[in-house]
Amino acid sequence: MLQGTLEVLILRCLKLQANHAYGISLFLQQQSDSEFLVDNGSLYPAIQRLLQRKWIAGQWKTSPNGRRARYYSLTAAGRKELLRATSKWQRFAVAMAKILAPEG
Amino acid sequence: MQAWWSKVQNIFGRRRTLASELDEEMESHLQFLIEENLEMGMAPDEAQTAARREFGNANSVRERTVESWQFPSLESLVQDLHYALRGVFRTPAFSLVVILTLAVGIGANTAIFSTVYAVLLKPLPYPYGERLIWLGESNAKATGISVTWLNFQHWRTENRSFDAMAGFQNADLTLTGHGQAVLTHAALVTSEFFQLTGSHPTLGRLFLEADDSVQSPATVVVSDTFWSRFLSSDPQVIGKSITLNGSAYEVVGVLARDPGFFPRPVDYYLPLRPSAAQAAKRDAHGSLRLLGLLKPGVTLAQARSDLNTILARLAKADPGPEDDHRVYAQFLASELTDGLNNVFAMLMGSVGLVLFLACANIASLLLIRMTTRAREMAVRTAIGAGRGRLARQLVTETLLITAIGGSAGVLLARAGLKLLTNLAPSGIPRLSEASLNLPVMIFAGILTLAVGLICALAPIFSSGRINMSILLKEGGTGSGSNRIGHVIRGSLVVAEIAMAVVLLFTSGILLRSLWLAETVNPGFDSGHLLALELQLPSGRYETDPAILAFYNRLEDQLRTKPGVESVGIVNCPPAAGDCGDWWYSIAEKPAPSRDDVPLTLLNMADPQYFSTMRMRLIAGRAPSSDNRAASPPVAVINQELAHAWWKDARSAIGQHIKLGGPYMKGPVLEIVGVVANVPQLGLDSPPLPEIYFPSEQRASSGMVLAIRTLGDTASVISSVAKTLASIDSDVPIQSLKPFDERLGATLKQRRFIALLLAIFAGIAVLLAAIGCYGVLNFWVRSRKQEIAIRIAMGAGVSAILRRTGRQVAVLGALGLAIGIAGSFFASRWVGSMVFGITAHDPIVLCFAAIAALPMITAAAAMPLWRAVRISPIETLHEA
Repeated sequence: MLQGTLEVLILRCLKLQANHAYGISLFLQQQSDSEFLVDNGSLYPAIQRLLQRKWIAGQWKTSPNGRRARYYSLTAAGRKELLRATSKWQRFAVAMAKILAPEG
Repeated sequence: MQAWWSKVQNIFGRRRTLASELDEEMESHLQFLIEENLEMGMAPDEAQTAARREFGNANSVRERTVESWQFPSLESLVQDLHYALRGVFRTPAFSLVVILTLAVGIGANTAIFSTVYAVLLKPLPYPYGERLIWLGESNAKATGISVTWLNFQHWRTENRSFDAMAGFQNADLTLTGHGQAVLTHAALVTSEFFQLTGSHPTLGRLFLEADDSVQSPATVVVSDTFWSRFLSSDPQVIGKSITLNGSAYEVVGVLARDPGFFPRPVDYYLPLRPSAAQAAKRDAHGSLRLLGLLKPGVTLAQARSDLNTILARLAKADPGPEDDHRVYAQFLASELTDGLNNVFAMLMGSVGLVLFLACANIASLLLIRMTTRAREMAVRTAIGAGRGRLARQLVTETLLITAIGGSAGVLLARAGLKLLTNLAPSGIPRLSEASLNLPVMIFAGILTLAVGLICALAPIFSSGRINMSILLKEGGTGSGSNRIGHVIRGSLVVAEIAMAVVLLFTSGILLRSLWLAETVNPGFDSGHLLALELQLPSGRYETDPAILAFYNRLEDQLRTKPGVESVGIVNCPPAAGDCGDWWYSIAEKPAPSRDDVPLTLLNMADPQYFSTMRMRLIAGRAPSSDNRAASPPVAVINQELAHAWWKDARSAIGQHIKLGGPYMKGPVLEIVGVVANVPQLGLDSPPLPEIYFPSEQRASSGMVLAIRTLGDTASVISSVAKTLASIDSDVPIQSLKPFDERLGATLKQRRFIALLLAIFAGIAVLLAAIGCYGVLNFWVRSRKQEIAIRIAMGAGVSAILRRTGRQVAVLGALGLAIGIAGSFFASRWVGSMVFGITAHDPIVLCFAAIAALPMITAAAAMPLWRAVRISPIETLHEA
C-alpha cells in the first residue's frame, strides 16, 4: 500500500461510525473486496499516528455483544483532514488513470 | 508539533498506561476473532489457534506500535545500550580480551601523544611565541655559533624585520654568604628579554635599558624559586645585595614566574654587558645568542636576508676574518626541539603499529563472534527485529566495549605517562609538562571512536548480506565462513605477523646499537675511578697561578688519602661534551684553503691525568712536569687527529700544531705525545680530533679531578669532600660521582627509546600471537566436520596436520615476507639512532624473522592440536 493510504482509509471508515481496531480491519477488507488485507502490524501503528495528530479519539466502550473494546471516532480536525485527503486522492487517482490508460 | 508533544508525553509518564491499554485492546481484538471463528462453527481450541494466526505476531505489533509513541532512535539507543551491556557481561572472557587489548593500544598512544603534544605541538608560553626567532651566526664549518656583540648591536639597530631583539647567554657563578658556597646558574640577558618572554615581577622591577649599560651598577633579578630557597622569601629583599663570585649584586626584582626559556633551570638573571674586547672587535665571540621577535607578516627568509645584508655591509665597512659569516635563524619552537621530531615520529609510529594490531585483533575477534552469534541474530530476526536495528545494535555493542577499553586506556596512559616522564632523559624541553589535558583527551576520544567504528563495521561489511532463513536452517558456521570473511581474516593474520616483524626489527636495531654503544671500548679504564667536578669562584682565584696552586694542593692532599691510588686533573673529561673547539693547522703540512681549516676539540690535563685514566699512550710521552708556563708550549694529541695527518702516529711527534689555522693569530705547539681516543661527547658518538694542553701552561678555573681508587669508589667519596672543605670551604662541588655513571648517562636517551620500542615490540608480538591464535582456532572449529569426515575416511595425523598446517604456513610466510620488506622501509626511521651497525643490519633482520617464528608456531600449535584430536564419532554425531 502507498505511504499514507492506510491512514486515509481508517479516517474514511470512522466517518460512518465509531469503530474498534477489529471493526476497522473488517471494514477495510470488506469494502475493498479483500483487495486490502491489512496486517495488524501496520494497522495499530497507523491508529497511533492518527491519535497523536488528534484526528481521531479513542474511548473504551462496551460493544453490542457485551465485549469491552476501544472505539475510535473522528474529531473535527479529523473530518477536515479527511476532506483534504479525499480530494487529494481523487485528483491523484484521476491523474494516475489518465497516464496509465491505454493510448487511443 | 502536537504529535511531537504527545511523543514527549508518552516518554514521560503515559507509557505504562498506554502499554496496558494496548495489551487490552489487542486482547479484545483477538476475542472478536475467536468469536467470529466460533460462529463459523470451529471447535474452541481450533478457533483460538486460527484467531492467533490471523492476528499475526503480537510482539511485532506491540513493538511497532510502541515505536510510534516515541522518538525511536533515542529509546532504542537506551535499549541497545542495555542489550550491549548484557552482551559484555555474557561473554566476560571475550570482553576482557577486547577491553585489555584496546586499553593497551589506546593507552600507549595516548601516553606517547601527550608527550608529543607537550614537546612539539603545544604553543610556546610566550606572548608572541609563534613569531620568536632564535638567532646565531653560521659559517662554512659550523651553524648556530655565537653572535658577536658588535654584530648584535648592528642587527638590533639596523634591521627592518624585527620588532625587538634580545641577547642572552648562560654562566655559572658561586653564591656565598648563604651557608655553604653553592654553584648557581645565571642567565645574562639584555633588557628586552623579559618583554619578549612576557615576564613580570612580583617584587621590584625587571631590567631597564639603563641596566644594559656597562657603567651601571651590578644588578640582579632573581627567580621566584631562588627567592624562596636562598632569600627565605624576604619581602624586603629589593635593594639588598647577594654575593656572586665574590662581588656584590643589588637585587632589583623578583620574577613572578620564571619564563622557563633555558633548558637548565636559571637561578637569577644578570644584565648582559659586553667585555672591552667584545665592544671593540667584530670577531670577538662569547656564547651570546639572540632572541628576536619577527614583525607580523615578515617571513623567516625575509628576516634572514635582511640580517645578511647588514653583515655584507659590515664586511665592507669593517673587514675582518669573519666576513663570510651569515645569520643563523630558526623559529624558536623548532630550534628548541631540533632533532626530537625524528625521535617522536619513531615512537608515534611504533605505538601506531601497536594500535593497528589491537584493532586487527578486535576486528577478527568480532568477526568470529558474529559467526557464533549468527544463530542468535537469526532468531531475533525471526521474532521481529528489523535488520537495521540488529546492525545498529551490533555497532552499539562494539562501541560500548571500545568505550570501556578506551577509558581503561586513559587510566593506563596516566600510569604510563608517569613512568615515561620518570624514565625520560633530561634535556627534552617541556616533557615534564606532559599531562592528560584537553587536547590529549580529545585525541584519545577520537582514537577510541575511530577504532570502535572500524572494528564494528568490519564484521558487518565482511559478512555481506546475511540470509537469515538459510542461517536458521543450517544452524552452523554461518556468515563468517563465507569467502570475504575468510580472506579478511587471513589478511589480518598476515598483517599482524608483518607488523610484529617490523617492530621486532626496529627495536632489535636499537637494542643492538645500544648494546654496541654500552660495550664500546672507551679508551680508558672507567672502573674504580671517581670524577670530582669543581668550578672555582672567580673572586679568590682570578689568576692562573692561584688556580694552579689550588688544584696542585688539592691533588697532593688527595694522593695521601688511604684508598686513593692516583689523581690527575683535566678540563674536559670523557662524556663531558664539547668544552670548546678551535681551528688549527699543521705547520709542517701544506696550508689548507680558507674554507677547509679543520676544527679540533681543546682540552687541558696534567701529566698524571693520562696515567690515572690508564689511557693508552700510542706514541711519544705525556707532558712532563717540566712543561711549565715559561717553557715552549707543547701538546698531546689524540689518535683521531694524528690519523688525519699521518699514517703512523709516531711521525706526529716533534711536528707542530698552529692554533687558529694559517689565517689567524695563534700559538704554535710542539706535539709530544699521541694518546688513544676517548668518547668526548658520549659513548655513542664518533671520535673527534682533540688537543690536550698541559694544565701548567693553560689553566681553567673549572676542572675535573680524576681519582683512581684502590677499592670501591664509594668508600673514598666522603674523604674527598672533607679534603676539599679543609682547603677552601667556599669552593662548591659541582658533582662527585664514578666515571662509569658519567659515561652511562650519555646513553640515557638511547636507552629510553630502545626500552620503549622493546616494550612496544613485546606488546605487538603478544597481540599478534593472540590474533593468529583466534583466527586459526576459528578456522579449525568451523572445519570440524570436514576434518572429522577426513579422519573417519582414514586420514592420518600427518595428513590432517599437512592440510591445516598449510594454511598456517602460507599466512606465516606471507606475513614474514611483508614484514621483512616493511622493515627495510622502517629502517629509515631509526637511521639516526643506529650505532655500530647499518640500518638494515642482516643479523637483526634474521633475529626479527626468527623471533616471529616461535610466535606463529605457538599461536598455531593449539588449534592444530585440536584439529588432530577431533573425534570423528562425536563430531559427526553432533552434526
